[in-house]
Amino acid sequence: MTSLLGWDESPSTLTPTDSSPVQLAACGCISALGNAAETHEALLRGERALALKPVYGSSGGDPVPLALLPGRSLDETSPPSWMPAVKRLMRECPDAPWGGARHPVFVTSSNFGVGNLFSFRRAGTLSHLDFGTPEACVAFIAGELGWGGNVTILSHACVSANLGLVLAARQIALEIADEALVFSFDFLSPFVAGGFHALKILNSEAPAPYQARDFGSIGLGDGAAFAVLRKPGPGWIIASQTMYNEMHHFTAFPSDGAGFAACIEPLVRVASGRRLWIKGHGTGTLEAGRLEAEAFGRACPASPLVGWKGSLGHTLGSSGLVELAVALESLRSGRIPGTVGSEAPTFSEKVSLGPIFDSSFDGVVCASNAFGGAHAALLLCHA
Amino acid sequence: MLERYFSCVGTDDAGSEDAASIRARLRDGFTPAFGRRATILGLLIGGVLRKALDRNCEAIVYASAYGETRTLADFLDSFPHASPTLFQTSVHPSAVQQVMIDRQQPVREYIPLAGGRCLAARALVTAILAPAERVVLCGGEERGSWMTEYQMASDRSFAFALALQRSRDASTQGRIRLLPIVESNAATDPISFPAWFELLHGRRNFSGPVSAEWQLELEWT
Repeated sequence: MTSLLGWDESPSTLTPTDSSPVQLAACGCISALGNAAETHEALLRGERALALKPVYGSSGGDPVPLALLPGRSLDETSPPSWMPAVKRLMRECPDAPWGGARHPVFVTSSNFGVGNLFSFRRAGTLSHLDFGTPEACVAFIAGELGWGGNVTILSHACVSANLGLVLAARQIALEIADEALVFSFDFLSPFVAGGFHALKILNSEAPAPYQARDFGSIGLGDGAAFAVLRKPGPGWIIASQTMYNEMHHFTAFPSDGAGFAACIEPLVRVASGRRLWIKGHGTGTLEAGRLEAEAFGRACPASPLVGWKGSLGHTLGSSGLVELAVALESLRSGRIPGTVGSEAPTFSEKVSLGPIFDSSFDGVVCASNAFGGAHAALLLCHA
Repeated sequence: MLERYFSCVGTDDAGSEDAASIRARLRDGFTPAFGRRATILGLLIGGVLRKALDRNCEAIVYASAYGETRTLADFLDSFPHASPTLFQTSVHPSAVQQVMIDRQQPVREYIPLAGGRCLAARALVTAILAPAERVVLCGGEERGSWMTEYQMASDRSFAFALALQRSRDASTQGRIRLLPIVESNAATDPISFPAWFELLHGRRNFSGPVSAEWQLELEWT
C-alpha cells in the first residue's frame, strides 16, 4: 500500500526479541564518586555527587546540578582533561590485542569531544579541533590506549552504551570475535549542559527519580566505563538484550508507555524463574519516570526498582555501562543501592528508596532510554 | 563469509548543492512540517529511504561521520542563549529519527555509527549481523557551514540507502559479500565512506579491502 507521500504503508509487524548471551568477563567504571567499587559503596551510603555549578562553566549562567570528576572543570581543555581518568580506569581492563582482528572495540558516546568544539568556538584555539569530531576523539583515545584499528564508533544518545554491548555480543555469538571490548564515555561541557538547560529539564532543582512531585528535573554527570565480553562461560552473563525505538517524538514518549513494555517484557520472559531486581533509567523527569515505573510494575510486579541518577547525575551515552558496572558490584555483594535523592511518594510502590541487603537475587534488568523514544535493556545474571 | 542480497538502492549525490536548493528539491515528498524543519541531512536521508523503508522495517543501520554539522554549528553559535530545538536535532543520529518521527513509525533496532576510518566496513558488518530478515542500511553527509573550513564537517552532501536481505527475490539488485582477510596487512588502505557511496551511486562492482579485516565483493545483477 502506497501513501500519498509515496511511502509503502503496509502494516507494521515488529518482532520484539533479540538474544545473544555472552560472558561479562570484566566491567569497570568511573563516576564522580570514584571507580565501580567506590561508586557502589558511596551509593549504599546515600551520597550525592551532584552539586550546583554554573551551567556555562567559567562563563557563568544559572546554577545546575552537575557531578564532575574530582578536580575537573566543565570547561574543556586541550588535550581533554578527562584522559588521565580514562587511563586509570582502563588499567582495570584485562590485557588483549584490543582493536585487532579477533578483538574488536566498540566505542560509544553521545557527545565525544564536542566540549572541545565548544571551547574552540569560544576561544579560537585550534588544538581543540584535534578532538572535535567523534572520529578524531576516538582516534586520540585509541592512540593513548594502544588499540588497533578494529574499532566501531556508535552514537545513539543515552542508549549508546547498550548498542555497543549488543554489537559486541553478536560478533562473539557468530564467532567473528574471540573477545570484545566495549568502551563508553561522556564528559560534560557547557555544550551539553547548555542544551539540557535550554530544554528546561536541567534547572536548579536536584533530580528525584521516580518521586511523584510537581516538577521534573535532571542532573548531569561525568562517566566512563568498559566491559569485556566473551563466549558464555561460568560467572556473570548478559543473558539477553533488547532494543526498541518508538520514533514518536524527540523528547517525549507516548502516554501508553508501550515502548517501555516492548523493551522490558521480552527480557522478563527470558528471566522466568529468576528473582530479579530492576535498575531503571530514572533521570528525574516526571512523565518518563512514571511510565517506566508503571511498565516495570506491570512486567515484573515482584521486583524492586532502583535508579542512581539522583546521585551520579545522568552520564548520558555512558550511563548504560557505568550503571551496569555498579549493578555488577551490587549483584556480587548482595547489597543494592537505593534510589538516592528521592523521597516518598513514588510513582510505584516497588521503587526502593533505601538500599536493599539481600543476596538471594539472581539477576538484574538494567534499562536505558534516549531521545527519539529509544529504549534498551539487558538481563545480567549468573550463567 | 558474510553475505546478503541487496535491493531498493537509493542515492543522492547533492555534492555542493546549497541547502535551500536541497530543501526545495526534496520537501514535496514529506509532510509540510518536516519539509520546513528537517535538517539537510534529514531531507537527504528521507529522500533515499523512500524505496528501502517499509512499514515492516525491523532494523535500520545508519552511518555518518559528521552528522548534522550545520545544526551543530548553529547550536554552537546560539550560546549563551542555547536553542533547545537545535540541541535535540544536533544529536548525532537525528537524521533517521526525524524521518521516522515524521512517519510515526517505530523500529526495533536503530543502530547509528558515527565515523571511523573504516566506516563503510563497520556499517556493513553491523547490518549483516543484525538478526532481522531485512535490514535497511543508510547513511550520508551534509555539506557543512563554517565547520567545513576546519575539516570538522563534510565538504559535500550525499546520501544512500539500500535494503539487505538473506535471500534473493525479484527485487534483488545485487549481492554483497564480506570475506575475512586472513593475513591482515596494516598497510591496507580501505575505501573511504564517500568512495563507498560512489560505488552505490555509480552501480559499480567492486572487489577489495574495506578494512584490515574484511574484503568486500560488491556485485550488481
